[in-house]
Amino acid sequence: MRKLASLSVILALCGGAFYAVSAAEKAAEPAKEAAAAKTPLECFESRKGASELTQRDVKPDWPNVKCSPTTGAALWYGDPYDGTVPMGKMPGLDIAEGKAVVKPRTEKLALMPMCGVSCHNGVGPAFNPPKLPKDKKPAPVPTMEAMVPDLANFQHGRGRIWCMDCHHTTKRNMLVDHFGDPVSFDQPQLLCGKCHGDKLRDWRDGIHGKRIGEFVSTGKKRWFTCTECHNPHNVQDGARNKGFIQVQPEPSPQLPRGMANADHEKLHPIPH
Amino acid sequence: MANNDTPCAGTAQDRPSDCPVQPASADPAANELKTTRRDFLRAGGMLSLSSLMGTAALMTQSDDANAAVEWGEHFQKNYRLMTTEEKNEARLRLERRYSDEYGKKVAVDTTEAQPGMLMGYALNIRKCIGCRRCVHACVAENNQSRGPRPGEKIEWIQVLRMERGKFEQEKMNHGYPEGLGIQVGGNAYTPAGQVLEGQYHYNPKAVPEADATYMPIACMQCEKPPCVKVCPVRTTYREGDGPVVIDYNWCIGCKMCMNACPYWARRFNLTTPVLPKEEMNPVTHYLGNRPRMRGVVEKCHWCLQRTRHNRYPACVEVCPVGARKFGNLLDPESEVSKILERKNVFRLKAELNTFPKFFYFYD
Repeated sequence: MRKLASLSVILALCGGAFYAVSAAEKAAEPAKEAAAAKTPLECFESRKGASELTQRDVKPDWPNVKCSPTTGAALWYGDPYDGTVPMGKMPGLDIAEGKAVVKPRTEKLALMPMCGVSCHNGVGPAFNPPKLPKDKKPAPVPTMEAMVPDLANFQHGRGRIWCMDCHHTTKRNMLVDHFGDPVSFDQPQLLCGKCHGDKLRDWRDGIHGKRIGEFVSTGKKRWFTCTECHNPHNVQDGARNKGFIQVQPEPSPQLPRGMANADHEKLHPIPH
Repeated sequence: MANNDTPCAGTAQDRPSDCPVQPASADPAANELKTTRRDFLRAGGMLSLSSLMGTAALMTQSDDANAAVEWGEHFQKNYRLMTTEEKNEARLRLERRYSDEYGKKVAVDTTEAQPGMLMGYALNIRKCIGCRRCVHACVAENNQSRGPRPGEKIEWIQVLRMERGKFEQEKMNHGYPEGLGIQVGGNAYTPAGQVLEGQYHYNPKAVPEADATYMPIACMQCEKPPCVKVCPVRTTYREGDGPVVIDYNWCIGCKMCMNACPYWARRFNLTTPVLPKEEMNPVTHYLGNRPRMRGVVEKCHWCLQRTRHNRYPACVEVCPVGARKFGNLLDPESEVSKILERKNVFRLKAELNTFPKFFYFYD
């Protein structure tokens, strides 16, 4: 009996030592793999070209965003309010001060500082009063089309609306509401809601569009404005694809052990 | 280990002969076995010795955080039966072990369900473009295993690609038998719409494809969850604010819940989870995304570590088309309540009476 007991103690000690060694090996392995896979530092949010985030640590071991190594899309938000400003007043929305924030669009639009100053500055004979085509058909301006390629493929309204229905006549770095008053590019919902009232109503209630941050109705949220997801100039581009511009998907799930490919999924599933 | 206080305990040799003989089993058939009493006791002795060895193996490393936690975890209660102090102890134990293991400060949250909260989820099925960002956001948030070998990569959300389907003149004679289509009644055999016989492994250059619709599925957080009914150790249960959670420590890995779930929502850790240190999310919840061990079941818990602190789940935040909606069903102002009030809504496999709190809707 005593012999057995001493044997078991020896065995147990050996087991303990082995356990420690294997644990150390386990820890070393994943570190190597992670070093090999490098993630991009800048990622786009909803659609490419609309808004980007640069990855940085907001706290130790806590990035503001994680980017997809495959597609470069934002995959995870550590700080949902990164780079946001207060949303401003919105008719029909009663939100406490500071509880609604948006990402400013003005910073993103590269032409913004120029368009109201260099060309459409409201100075000169053409602007007083502004001479606009009576038939509201935009005359193609090569310089303009070169700067904003979307204009050559302008689809919004399918020919029933033109530039000045959305852009302010004299203040070209602003949008325009029903009364002819300027609207900031940061609040496109005030403009879009003019026609798309049903979407505006759903957006106000959080059904249409996207909000991130705190989900309770009194919580602080970052609202995604219309133009962060939709390109207003060629909205119909993806009509056949549910209205969305196509994006590259993230990688597919792992195949189970022993399955070479997933071709069986493409076969007709219903035998007869 | 060996209890020598009573004369009837101990090995066969030194036991007094007047001790009552206990049957080895309550089952009379088991007593018919042709083993002697001596053999049986010897086997029992070996068994207790082997458990002693296991204990000793744990105790030899008492300064290792991992071993100390395993020792403590081994004797901890089912999470639901723990007192606040016991939960706190378990939390500190785990925080120490995870911080040690992942080389960063890991927080294990034990926040309870708040009164007045019933979490609900809605997904706009018309909008989903099948980009799988939710799937990978979930992995980034919830510390799933992500190794390269089969069984090491776990994803909780599945996105199904389904053929849109259409009826065409050319297909009119494709019935059985070919060319006639009379034997089984019809010949419009084209799959169309949401049929749940979709493709999981689709990988085109770009989504959405013109001829497909997409349907993400994950845990539906049923109000009458079949997985909870079958769990033999009652380690999976519905929390007061809605989500069905798992106390991973009490999971015995029997996979009964995986069989019971009609939504294919549960995943099993076949291997020791592969979770690189720098990818590990240090903000965890005991019932949520804390790192799991081998041999336990896991599933979506609506990012408990986030939602208990009012934050949107990770999948909601990354959906590029805003198809995913989350809110408090008891709050008439929440987006999910508004969707239920205003939109056409359906529950997946509603006929099973599982009453999911995950709703699909369309504009």
